[in-house]
Amino acid sequence: MSEKVLEIKDITVDFDGFCALLNVNVNVKRHTIHFFIGPNGAGKTTLLDIICAKTKPTKGVCTFYPEGRGSVQLTGMKEYKIVGEGIGRKFQVPSVFVNLSVMENMILSLKGNKGVWQSIFFKLSKQDEETINEILETVDLMDKKDEKAGSLAHGQKQWLEIAMQLVQKPEIIMLDEPAAGMGKPETFKTGEILKKIKEICTIIVVEHDMDFVKQISDRVTVLHEGKVLIEGTCDEVLADETVQAVYLGRGGERNAEDN
Amino acid sequence: MIWKKQGYNICFAVIVLILALMPLFLSVGMISSSSFVLFIGKCMAYAIVAIGLDLIWGYTGILSLGHGLYFALGGYAMAMFLKLQATNGQITSFMQTGGMTELPLVWKPFLSTPLAMVLTIAVPAVLAGVIGYFIFRNRIKGVYFSIISQALTWAAYSLFTGLQSYTGGNVGITEITSIVGSIKGDANRAHMFTLFYASLAILVLIYMLSYYLTHKKFGKLLIAIRDGENRTYFSGYCVSRYKNFIYVLSAIFAAIAGAIFVNFNGSITPTQMTISYSITMVIWVAVGGRGTLVGAVIGAFLINLCDYSFSSGTMVEIWQYILGAIFVVTILFFKGGLVGIVRDQLPELTRKLKHKREAN
Amino acid sequence: MVQFMNTVFNGVSLSSIILLTSLGLAITFGLMRVINMAHGEFLMIGAYMTYVVQNIFAKFLPESVFSLYYFVAILAAFAVTFLLGALMERFIISKLYGREIDSLLATWGISLILQQAARSIFGMQGVNVTAPSFLNGGLEIGGCTFSYNRLFILVMVVACMLLVWYIMYKSNFGKQMRAVMQNRSMAQCMGINSKKVDMITFSFGSGLAGIAGCSVALLGSIDSTIGQSYIVNSFIAVVLGGVGKLIGTVFGSSIIGFASIGIENYTSASIAKAAVLFIVIVVLQFRPQGLFTIKSRKLDE
Repeated sequence: MSEKVLEIKDITVDFDGFCALLNVNVNVKRHTIHFFIGPNGAGKTTLLDIICAKTKPTKGVCTFYPEGRGSVQLTGMKEYKIVGEGIGRKFQVPSVFVNLSVMENMILSLKGNKGVWQSIFFKLSKQDEETINEILETVDLMDKKDEKAGSLAHGQKQWLEIAMQLVQKPEIIMLDEPAAGMGKPETFKTGEILKKIKEICTIIVVEHDMDFVKQISDRVTVLHEGKVLIEGTCDEVLADETVQAVYLGRGGERNAEDN
Repeated sequence: MIWKKQGYNICFAVIVLILALMPLFLSVGMISSSSFVLFIGKCMAYAIVAIGLDLIWGYTGILSLGHGLYFALGGYAMAMFLKLQATNGQITSFMQTGGMTELPLVWKPFLSTPLAMVLTIAVPAVLAGVIGYFIFRNRIKGVYFSIISQALTWAAYSLFTGLQSYTGGNVGITEITSIVGSIKGDANRAHMFTLFYASLAILVLIYMLSYYLTHKKFGKLLIAIRDGENRTYFSGYCVSRYKNFIYVLSAIFAAIAGAIFVNFNGSITPTQMTISYSITMVIWVAVGGRGTLVGAVIGAFLINLCDYSFSSGTMVEIWQYILGAIFVVTILFFKGGLVGIVRDQLPELTRKLKHKREAN
Repeated sequence: MVQFMNTVFNGVSLSSIILLTSLGLAITFGLMRVINMAHGEFLMIGAYMTYVVQNIFAKFLPESVFSLYYFVAILAAFAVTFLLGALMERFIISKLYGREIDSLLATWGISLILQQAARSIFGMQGVNVTAPSFLNGGLEIGGCTFSYNRLFILVMVVACMLLVWYIMYKSNFGKQMRAVMQNRSMAQCMGINSKKVDMITFSFGSGLAGIAGCSVALLGSIDSTIGQSYIVNSFIAVVLGGVGKLIGTVFGSSIIGFASIGIENYTSASIAKAAVLFIVIVVLQFRPQGLFTIKSRKLDE
């Protein structure tokens, strides 16, 4: 349970003189829900960008420890290869393929060979179809299967995107503000879905909604101005005075209520 | 129901049927001149490029403003092969004028029939592959790709016109006898019909291949790349490889089209390599309807038929204005082209009218 | 030495011409992200305006003031292309914001129409303008002749650069313009009429094309394809320099200008074109966003 699955070591990111992250060290443990919180501009999204290779770090490395295999150095890899290794990412703005049906979105996300020839001669196996149906059931999208993803409601798009991550059978899922734009009940439901998913993989979440953090977090890292302020359980973090000063005290909790 | 599912294919089948009857129309005198049939032959070549362009633009969202380059390369390769066949391997007059005494090395392989056929397709394919590799690898996309493809075509054009003794310069390669023998005049009608049906067969094959590709997971991926390229990367796909694949494929289609074109046209000139010619090809796809294969075919035929009818007399000037206007209007108001009008806008209109009538 | 000086001067001269033709693009394409395929035709209109104004001067005004026609032509060319740009922005471009590729294609349709219009009005044959007398001859330094023609274009480039710089970074309008380009909705909230800013910005870029047209009119005969022959280089210069940065366009133009002249010295013009393009593609291998870049956090724009 306590084995680490992702090691973020000495990560520094310098955007033309602006230091987005400075010597960030975090270990993420397997089968946990690990939150990154912090005020705007703290570098949360940048950190996710680093892990999935959307942005290159100026310094430092990320290492992934897949189950039953050795270690994989993520820094320097191409993003699609990282996905192939088993790290999925959901972006802040829901980005599903709007002109494809829900089912087609899922098929494209299936784990497996993603080469050109493979997709030309691709045939959906019975087993894969069942997997997809199962996951769509989990996120309540079964009846929308043949609808275009573009016609879904905002919350449904978010869930579809989570479902697309699941069907890839990743070991780590990274979610950037999965509850953004969702109402209370939807947020709660998302949390329950994530708790279920935790059984099969590790989840890294960037989120502002403190209720959501309280609901499901196992571990919380607070970032502030590109540095790690504190790391611990939700209660530990909330009790910390500095955190209250820089983040919560500035209305973080109140904003969360508004959402 | 069948119309909804197979509508595009039915449309295409109808077009093919009409095309197949063309020679018959000529025989019974419904079409007065055989030059019209030759023109339709060229249109089939245009339809093939249009399908290729639609695959990369309509489906994948890569706008190439330089497909004339591949079209012309295929055309030049075929033209030189035919020329050398006709002269029994002797050097052409433009080479003599250019001071050459023997066939330049680059054209030597075109003495052999199988090699020439392979090269007609392989040269454009490899060129597209190399260009595509370097451009897509660096995630150059959207309008940046368009600008670079345009510049490439422009450079190739100046190379082809500059290297007169190799390519015939501004004049190009002319007076070419088709691959099945002369197709001029009534005596050679059999030849013409053979060429016509062979080209039609190629068009059908290319349509079927494209249809297959776009209806597999591969086709869905192309759409995915168009709508969210980075998202597709983060779904684990090496997008650049897909883009390069489809780019090369469409370059091959263009080359095949160029080769067919030369047979019907009897000459190839650098005009076919210009930027404006390349963009004209995009106009066909846009007007017919991007993102549907049959739209590309319809557009290619329609625009060229208009061009053919207006290419003489007083309409020439006006036609240019109309062409420009059609293009602007299509882009502004009818994104789906003609197919889009029939598929989306007409039903909408009838629904609205019905609504109005019911309200009254 | 003389040959070297000549090469350098030719390089500077060509770079300045490319820069002049790219400046307008650097604004419409670089800042507004609108690919105006008719930009070359605006240049053509500028060139034809020079021709028209020259003819008016020759016909109706005394010969003593003939040389002044050129300055009038610059103003006229700017005014006409500015107006056309405004019309185009209002009726076409503004409908296509966010659809870059579509705006490229729609403007191509306009370019077809404008080219045909030029053929209808001025004929297929190219026309020539007589350079104002003060531009005849050249400056001789150490055995090299620097023609006044080209020196004058150099001065025009500098003047246009200063104008652009002043408007963009010093004037009140420039502030609004940059605000709109950087964050449209925010600028609107601040009470900036972003539609008007878009229109004026685009028109200004188009007007610069008109001025560039005046200068290329001095270099050779004018026909309906003149725009096409300059536009490709200009686009490449903007892309190479990095979209959105004026300084990038300066560098991009210089690289293309000098490389063209340098390579042309050893080979032919046509091979030089191909080689320059090759260089550009190689550079873009290392700097895919161009030489001067802005980082963005958006996933799919």
